[in-house]
Amino acid sequence: MGNMSKLLNRPLKAFILYALLVLALSIPVYHYIVDDIWHKELDEHNEILKLKTEDGLNKLHLTEAELLSSIQLLNRLEPGINISPANSLQVKPDSLYTVTRENEYNKLKRIDRFRGLTTYIKVNGKPYLLTVETNVEEVDETLIAIAIITIFFFLILVGGFIFLNWKISKQIWKPFRSTLNRFKSFDLNSQSNIEFERSGIQEFEELNNTLKKLIEKNISVFKQQKEFSENASNELQTPLAVIKSWIDLLLQNNTLSKEQSEMIEALNIPLSRVSRIKKNLLLLSKIENQQFAAIEPVVVSEVVNDTL
Amino acid sequence: MKILIIEDEKELADNICRYLSEENYLSELAYSFDQALEKIDIYQYDCILLDLMLPGGDGIKILEELKKQNKQDGVIIISAKDSIEDKVKGLQIGADDYLAKPFHLAELSARIYSVIRRKQFGNSNVIQLNELLIDLPAKTITVNNQQIALTKKEFDLLLFFIGNKNRVISKGALAEHLSGDIADMLDNHDFVYAHIKNLKRKLADAGYGNYLKTIYGTGYKWEI
Repeated sequence: MGNMSKLLNRPLKAFILYALLVLALSIPVYHYIVDDIWHKELDEHNEILKLKTEDGLNKLHLTEAELLSSIQLLNRLEPGINISPANSLQVKPDSLYTVTRENEYNKLKRIDRFRGLTTYIKVNGKPYLLTVETNVEEVDETLIAIAIITIFFFLILVGGFIFLNWKISKQIWKPFRSTLNRFKSFDLNSQSNIEFERSGIQEFEELNNTLKKLIEKNISVFKQQKEFSENASNELQTPLAVIKSWIDLLLQNNTLSKEQSEMIEALNIPLSRVSRIKKNLLLLSKIENQQFAAIEPVVVSEVVNDTL
Repeated sequence: MKILIIEDEKELADNICRYLSEENYLSELAYSFDQALEKIDIYQYDCILLDLMLPGGDGIKILEELKKQNKQDGVIIISAKDSIEDKVKGLQIGADDYLAKPFHLAELSARIYSVIRRKQFGNSNVIQLNELLIDLPAKTITVNNQQIALTKKEFDLLLFFIGNKNRVISKGALAEHLSGDIADMLDNHDFVYAHIKNLKRKLADAGYGNYLKTIYGTGYKWEI
């Protein structure tokens, strides 16, 4: 079959490639969106933490000294929260940031990501710099998990494509194959037109109708040719037969001289040849029209021997 | 013997008629389909020569009509159509023989003779010609009660002559009869001479009446 592939494999390849592309694109997109959502959540979380801390500290109504030691305790205990006194000139608007640093407690995981909020709070009327940092899920882990799931779904898709492709192709090609078979077994000589199975498919119906017309034309041309060569041959026969009959009758005349008889007799040979040529022409045209169905190998030596 | 010639080519039909009249055949002519139908309805013939391409209808229908009417007339189809299919079809429908045009009149005559003999005498088909006794089915010939051995071709030739008594038969006609179609591919027809010579010798040795005459070296005649 060489470079030919089945028709439905071509769109299949295209589909698989497209699926691959789309799913490959989906990985970073997922990653980005998930990250984005997660960041927003964390920012919200950090904001709440800030409000809680601010509120909580204010409600305690601590003295200066108590506040300081509480703050120190908080800084120590609460990972990710850091409060330090600030002076009012330093007050800046909030800023959000992301930072990665080494995990002190789990040297196996190389780095952690943190989402941070730097803000200024007022406790007992005094400004304090508050930094809140919350752990973000590791980049690698998210990415790997998404990738694995995506690949998994991709494989399911491909498997599905191939199976469906195989199943559908069997169905869809049925009318085409039926047409092809009828075509193959068609015999021009039989002079009957081809009958195609009806399919519900527009393109195949069109194909079948066009083919049918083509074949009809073919058959009619063939018929015409056949009739023509037969008629021509028959028309030639009659004058030949008449000539032959005159020669036969002439020879009965007993007043002919020997010479005359010989001359009349000599007419027979070329006359037979004309008849023979005409027969051969007819035979040749029949062979060319392939009116003879069977082809047999002939052992020439046998035929020669038989004749001798 | 009554012969009906159904042929639309007048010249040809007339010539056949002339040739056959020498052999005491009474020939009638029909030039068209309708004429032919009329004739076969009214009369009975020993042999009918039927051309297939008739004005007014297909000759085959005449044949079918004959069969329908259960007529026993012998039928030889003479037709320009030469294909195997046509021959087979004709014979299948019930013709006794099929001769393709153009043919030698001698060949036609021999076939008519053969058909009539078959129709009339069937299995006990023995021809008596003076001292000659020819057993057709057995393919043997006896001269003065002495059986002679003839080759197939010689026997064939003998029958050919007997079917064309007292007519000059050209070498060409004999050649075509003996060798079939390929006679026209041969340079000359002298091979006929060899067969005739052998046949003459065998018959002469057995003491027949010397009927086989050579005419001017261009043909032969069975004079009886």
